[in-house]
Amino acid sequence: MTDTVRAGRRKFFDLARPSRQHLLGYILIAPAVLMVAAIIVWPLILAIDLSFQQVKIPRLGGASRPFSLSNYTWLFSSEEFWLACWVTLKLVVVVTAGSVAVGLSTALLANNRFRGRTVARLGMALPWAVPEIIAVVIFAWMFDTSFGLFGWLAIQLGFSDQMIPWVSSSTAAFWAVAITMVWKGFPFVSIMCLAGLQSIPSDYYAAAKVDGASVFQRFRWITMPLLMPVLGVTLVLTLLWVFRDFSIIKVLTGGGPLRSTQTLSIMTYDQAFQYHNFGRAAAVGVLTLVICIIASLLMLGRRSKSIY
Amino acid sequence: MNKRVKRLALGAATATVMMMASLGPAMADTVLKFISWQTDDAGTGEWWHSAIAEFEKQHPGVKIEFTKAERSSYADTMTTLFAANQPPQIVHLASFEFQMFADSGWLEPLDPWLKKDGIDMTGWAGQKTCEWNGETVCIMTNYFGFVMAYNKKILDAAGVAVPKTYDEFLAAAKATTKDLNGDGIVDQFGTGHETKGGPGQYLTEMLNYIIDAGAYWTDKDGNITIDTPQMVEGLTRWKTVMKSGISPVDMSASDVRKLFADGKMAMRMDGPWLYGTTEKGTAKSDIVYAVPPLTPPLGGSSNVLAMPSDIPDDQKQLVWDFIKLTMTPEFQRTYATLGGNTPPSPKADVSGVEKTIPHFPVLLQTMKAASEKGIDRVPIGLELYYNEFSKMIMEETQRMIIQDLDPAEVAKTMQSKAESIKG
Repeated sequence: MTDTVRAGRRKFFDLARPSRQHLLGYILIAPAVLMVAAIIVWPLILAIDLSFQQVKIPRLGGASRPFSLSNYTWLFSSEEFWLACWVTLKLVVVVTAGSVAVGLSTALLANNRFRGRTVARLGMALPWAVPEIIAVVIFAWMFDTSFGLFGWLAIQLGFSDQMIPWVSSSTAAFWAVAITMVWKGFPFVSIMCLAGLQSIPSDYYAAAKVDGASVFQRFRWITMPLLMPVLGVTLVLTLLWVFRDFSIIKVLTGGGPLRSTQTLSIMTYDQAFQYHNFGRAAAVGVLTLVICIIASLLMLGRRSKSIY
Repeated sequence: MNKRVKRLALGAATATVMMMASLGPAMADTVLKFISWQTDDAGTGEWWHSAIAEFEKQHPGVKIEFTKAERSSYADTMTTLFAANQPPQIVHLASFEFQMFADSGWLEPLDPWLKKDGIDMTGWAGQKTCEWNGETVCIMTNYFGFVMAYNKKILDAAGVAVPKTYDEFLAAAKATTKDLNGDGIVDQFGTGHETKGGPGQYLTEMLNYIIDAGAYWTDKDGNITIDTPQMVEGLTRWKTVMKSGISPVDMSASDVRKLFADGKMAMRMDGPWLYGTTEKGTAKSDIVYAVPPLTPPLGGSSNVLAMPSDIPDDQKQLVWDFIKLTMTPEFQRTYATLGGNTPPSPKADVSGVEKTIPHFPVLLQTMKAASEKGIDRVPIGLELYYNEFSKMIMEETQRMIIQDLDPAEVAKTMQSKAESIKG
C-alpha cells in the first residue's frame, strides 16, 4: 500500500475536520438510533401491519395474512371499544385533575419554609418511589370487600353499616382505581411543580407584595403563569401515564365489574391474551397511539400559548 | 515476513476459537425446556421433580430445564413463546387452553407415537378431551372430582350436621356465618367462593350449583343449552349464595383456601389440591373431607402434556420418552402417593394410599362419579371460545347480582350471547 493511498484514506476518515464534524455526530448517535428503531419503531411497524390482518395468534417469521380492514370495522362497530374509550376518558380526566390538584397543593406546601420540610418532601415523593405493583397489592388489600381497611373505616366512622363492595360495584371499582392512581401519580406532579416553583424569582413576589397583591392574586398572576411551562409538560406526561397504565387496573379490578374499569390498555390485553385476537388487539393499540398523539399535540399546543 | 507470520498466527487462533465455540453446544448436554406452574406445588411439584430425575437417569447427557411460570400469567407466557417460535420442548398446559395451540397446528399428533409403543388409552380418565380434529394432541395428566372439606368444630358449634343436599348446605352455611367479635364485620363464613381469579375460575365456582340443578352450558353435540328451567334454578342458587353473605367476595382462590385452612370458614368445595393448603393451616386437625352435597360432583380435566410439532425428530423422541415415563403404572401410583392426586390411568395401583392421604378414597369416588357423568369444565363446542364465553357468562352473572335481575331473563341473554360467540 503506497503512502499516497494511506494518506488519502486518513484524510477521508479525518472526523476532526470541520467539514466532517457532522459525520462524527451521526456516528455517535447511531447506536442509540438503531436501538430505538429496534425496540420501538420496528415493533410499532409490526403492530400496524398486524392490525390490518385478520389473525388470531401470529407467529414470528410466519406468512402474512391478506390486507383487511375487518379489525377496524369490528372496532368501530363494537360497543366494547366505545365503552373502553369512555372509561379511559373518565379516568384520564379524574386522575389527571386529582393528581394535579394534590400534586400542586403539596408542592406549594413543601415550597414554604417550615420545620420538618425535608421530611415532608421525602414523604411527598415516597409513593412515587414505591414500585407500582407493590403499591397496588397494598391498595388491593385496603380495598378488600371482606376485610379491607377502607370498609372497616367506613363502618367505624358511621359512613356505612356494612363493608363496601369496592371491586364488585361498578361505581366503587372506578373510584378505587382512580384513588390508587392519584396516590401513585401525584408525587410526579409534585416534584415537577416544586422544581418549577423554585425557579420563580422571589423578587416578583416581593414586588407584588409592595403593590398590595393578596396571596390569591400572587398565585393567580405570578405563580400560575410562570409554572405553566412545567405544568403543561407534566399534564401531558400524566395524561399519557393514565392512558397506558395497565398494572393498577389489572391487579385491582381486572377491568371489571361489567367493564366499568376496562380502559383501552386493558382491552388491548384482553383481545390479545384472553381471546387470542392479536389482529384486533393491534388495532386497539394503534388507535390508542393515535389518540395519545392527538391529545399530546393539543396539550402541548395549549401549553405553548399559555407561557407568559 | 514477520507481519505475514503474525497474520497467519492470528488467523489460525481465530479459526481455532470459532471451531471450539461451534463444537461447544454439540459436546454439551441436550437440554429440554419444560415450563410449568406446578414446579413448587406441594406434592405435585415433588412428583414432577421425581419424574425428571428418573428421566435424566435413563437418558445420560440429557437435562430437563424445569422452570416455573405463575399460573395467573401462564397462558400469556405460553402464547408469547409459541408466537415467538420458541416453545418449550415439553409442553404443559391447562386442559382448557391447549385447544388454541392445537387449532393452530402447533402441537404434534400423538397417535403415531402411542401406536408405535402399543399404548392403550382405553379407560384413561379425561383423555377424550385431548382429541382435537380427530387426532390425539396431548395426554391428560390429571382428571379430578371436587370434594367438600368442612371444619367439624365450626359445624358442631353451630349444631348443624354435614349437609347432603343443596338446601342443607345453604342452611348450614347460613348458620355458620358469624360476626364473632361484634364489630359489624363478618369474620367466619359458611362457605367461600373465588370470584377474583378471572372468568374461567368464576365459572368453575358457579358450576357446582348449576350441575346440581341439572343444567349445563352445552349438550353433547355442542348446542347451547343455557335457556332452560334447570339453568334458571342454577343461576338462582348462585345468586342466593352470593347475595346472602355466606361467602366472602372478591377474593382469590389462595385467599379463600387460606381462610378455610385457618378455621375462618365452615365448608369449602374444591379440587384435590386443597389438601396441600389445609395441611399447612392452623385448623388442620378440625378439617374433614367428604363427598360434596352437590351432585354429580364438579370435576374434569385439569392439565395436559404435549409436544410442539416443529421441533427436531430426535427431541420429539426424547419428549415422548418423558411423557411415556409419566404414564407408566409406577409413576401413576406415585402421582397419588407423592402428589396426592387421582391418577388418570386405569392401571394405576392406588392401594394403601389412604394410609398417607386419609381422604384418598373420597377423591377417587368423586373423580369416578364426575367421569361417569362426563362432567368437564370446558363445554363441548365452545373450546376455542372458552375465554370469551366464560367472560360473557361472568359479566352477565355479575350484572344479575349487582342489578338484581331475574335469572330467567339473564339465562335468555346468556343463551343469545353464547350463540353469537359460537357464530
